[in-house]
Amino acid sequence: MAGAEAGAGGDRRAAPSFVGPRIIAALLIAGGAFLIYHSLQIGATHGYSVVGPSIAPIAVSICLLLLGVIFAVRTTVLPDEDLAEASGAEEAMTHWPTVLLLAVLLVGYAVALAPLGYIVATALLLPISSRILGSTHPLRDAVIAVGLALVIYFGFTAFLGIRLPQGILAPIL
Amino acid sequence: MDVLGSLLGGFGTALRPEYLLFAALGVTLGTLVGVLPGIGPALTVALLLPITLNFEPTAAFIMFAGIYYGGMYGGSTTSILLNTPGESASVVTTIEGFQMAKRGRGGAALATAAVGSFVAGTISTVAITFLAPVVATLARTFQFADYFALMVLAFVSVTALVGHSLLRGLISLFGGLFIGLIGIDALTGQARFTFGVPQLLNGVDVVVVAVGLFAVGEALYVASRLRHDREEIVPVRGGLLMNREEWSRSWRPWLRGTAIGFPIGSLPAGGAEIPTFLSYTIEKRLSTRKDEWGKGAIEGVAGPEAANNAAFSGVLVPLLTLGIPTSATAAIMLVAFQIYNLQPGPLLFQNHPDLVWALIASLYIGNVMLLVLNLPLIRLWIKILSIPRALLYSAILVFATLGVYSIGNSLIDVLVMYIIGVVGFFMRRYDFPVAPMILGVILGPLMEAQFRRAMAASQGDLTIFVTRPISLVILLCALAALLLPYLPRLVRLARGERGGERIVFGSGKED
Repeated sequence: MAGAEAGAGGDRRAAPSFVGPRIIAALLIAGGAFLIYHSLQIGATHGYSVVGPSIAPIAVSICLLLLGVIFAVRTTVLPDEDLAEASGAEEAMTHWPTVLLLAVLLVGYAVALAPLGYIVATALLLPISSRILGSTHPLRDAVIAVGLALVIYFGFTAFLGIRLPQGILAPIL
Repeated sequence: MDVLGSLLGGFGTALRPEYLLFAALGVTLGTLVGVLPGIGPALTVALLLPITLNFEPTAAFIMFAGIYYGGMYGGSTTSILLNTPGESASVVTTIEGFQMAKRGRGGAALATAAVGSFVAGTISTVAITFLAPVVATLARTFQFADYFALMVLAFVSVTALVGHSLLRGLISLFGGLFIGLIGIDALTGQARFTFGVPQLLNGVDVVVVAVGLFAVGEALYVASRLRHDREEIVPVRGGLLMNREEWSRSWRPWLRGTAIGFPIGSLPAGGAEIPTFLSYTIEKRLSTRKDEWGKGAIEGVAGPEAANNAAFSGVLVPLLTLGIPTSATAAIMLVAFQIYNLQPGPLLFQNHPDLVWALIASLYIGNVMLLVLNLPLIRLWIKILSIPRALLYSAILVFATLGVYSIGNSLIDVLVMYIIGVVGFFMRRYDFPVAPMILGVILGPLMEAQFRRAMAASQGDLTIFVTRPISLVILLCALAALLLPYLPRLVRLARGERGGERIVFGSGKED
C-alpha cells in the first residue's frame, strides 16, 4: 500500500460520507438479484446428479444479495462510523480525472495491442501513463518506453518462446 | 523410500548446474520485483508466472521457489526503508523497522531481516521435509466431506481473523466465489455466468484476478491520490552490518518467530499475518528495554520477519499435501501446478516424488542463495526504490498486461483484468480485504466439486459433514475461528456487560 498515512491531506478532517458505500450496497443487491435470476436459467442436467450445476450459483447469488442488504443496513439504519470516516477521507482526496484518464488509456492499450503490435503500443502507453501519473520528463519517459518495449518484446519472443503481436512492425521484425 | 533418501535424491536433481542457475535467476528476479513498492509476494509470483511457462516442470518449480523467497525478502526492504509494507504480513515490520532506518540503523534492520529470514526459512524447510510426508499419508484417509470442511475452515479463518470488518471480508469472499463459478461446469458441461461471451467459457484465470486486484487496483489507487501522497525514502546511513549487540539481541527473536510462524502457517487455516503480530507482541513483552519500542527496537524486526518467513514456508504444507492454498501467494502457486497438470495433494508425493523432493531441496538452496546474493546487493536493491513513482506504476501496468496477455494472447483476459482492477480500486478505497476474493476464486470450484462428490457418495444426505469425525472436528474449528474475534465481546455479554473490542489480526491487505 502506498503511504496511506503519509498523505498531506491526512491533516485535514474530511466530513464522513456514505456515498460510496451506499452505491456499493446498491450494486451488490442489484447484482445479487440479477445473478439469482441468471442462476435459475442454468439448464438442468441430463442424467443422474445429486447436486445440479445451478445449486452453487444460486447459493452464491443469494449470499451476495443478503450481504448487500446487510451492508446497506450498515450504511443507513445502523451506520458503521469508522467506514463513513474512512470513505469521507478517501472522497476528499480522490482526483477522479486522473483515475478515469488512466482507465480509458488502459482499455485503449489493450485494444491497440494486436493491430499496432506490442512494441508500438507499449512505447506509446508508457510515456502517456507516466504523464497522467504526474511525470514531468516526457523525453526521458519516451526513451525508457522504447527501450523497455524492445527488451520485453525480444526477451519474450526470442528467449522465452512466448509470442507477442507484431502489428504494424511485422514487415521488419 | 525414507525421507532422507528422498531428500538426497532431490538435492541430486536440484544441485545440477542448470537448476542452480534457475534458482539464482528466480531469487534475483523475485527480489527485484518484490522490492518494488506496492508489489508483494503474491503479485511478484503472478507477474513472473508467465516466464516459467515454457520450462520443464522441475526447472520451473525450482525457479518458482526462488521467486517465492526472493519476493518475500524484497517486501521487507520496502517496509523498512519506505514505511510501505508490500503485504499485510510485513505491516508489523514497518513499526520498528522504519524507526530503525530513521535512526540510521536501516542497514542493520535489513540485515536482521535477511538473516532472520534465512534462519526461519531453513528451519522451516527442515520441518516441511519431515512434516509434509506425514500429512500426505494422513491426508489419504481424508474423504470428500473432509476436504469440503477443510476449505470451509480456510475460508473462515482468512475472512474472519484478518481485516477490520467480517462483513466486508465476506463480501470479498463471495465476490471471489462468483468469479470462480464463471465458465463451464466441469461435471455437467453447462455454461454458468458466461453472459453469452464465448471467451468466458474457460473461466477466469486466478492470475487474471490476482494481477487485476493487486497491480491495476493499486495503480489506479495511487493515481487517485497522487496529488496528496508524498513518500520519503530514508537513506541508509552507517554500516550495512549488524554489530555484536544487534546480533545478540536478534537470534532469540529469530528462533521464537520461527517457532510461532511455522506451526500456524502450516495449519490449513494458516496465513502469515497472525504469526507476525503474535511475534511482535511476544518480543515486546519479553524485552528488557521497553523504552526502545516504537523508536526502533531490533527485536521488533527480527521476530516478525522470521515469523513471516516461517509461516510462508509453512503454507507450503497444506498446499503440497492437501492441495489447499491458505494465502493469495499459495493460490497462485497452485495455478502454477495446474498449468503443468499436476494436482497438489496426497497423491503428488506418490505420483511425482522426484518433482516434490527437488522442489523441497530447492527451498534449501533458495534460502542459501538469497542470503549470499542479498547481503552484498542491498545497496543495489535500495537504488531500485528511487525509481520515480510515475514511471514505476506505468511499468507495473505494462508488466501486468504482459503477464495476463501472455497466458493466452486474449484481449478478453486483459479487459477482464482491467475490470477486476477497477473492483480492486474500490476495494482499496473502502477497506475491503483482497485475500478472501483470491481464495474464493481458486478454492470455490474445488469446494463445489468436493461438495458434490460428498453428496453423491452420501446419496444427498447432508448430515455426512457432521457424522464423519474428521469433518466434524474441522467444522468446529471453523466455528471457533469465526467466534474468536468476538471473544472479548462475548465474555462481557456473559458477564452482563456491553461493549468490548473485536480482535483484529492484520489489516487484510495482502498483496
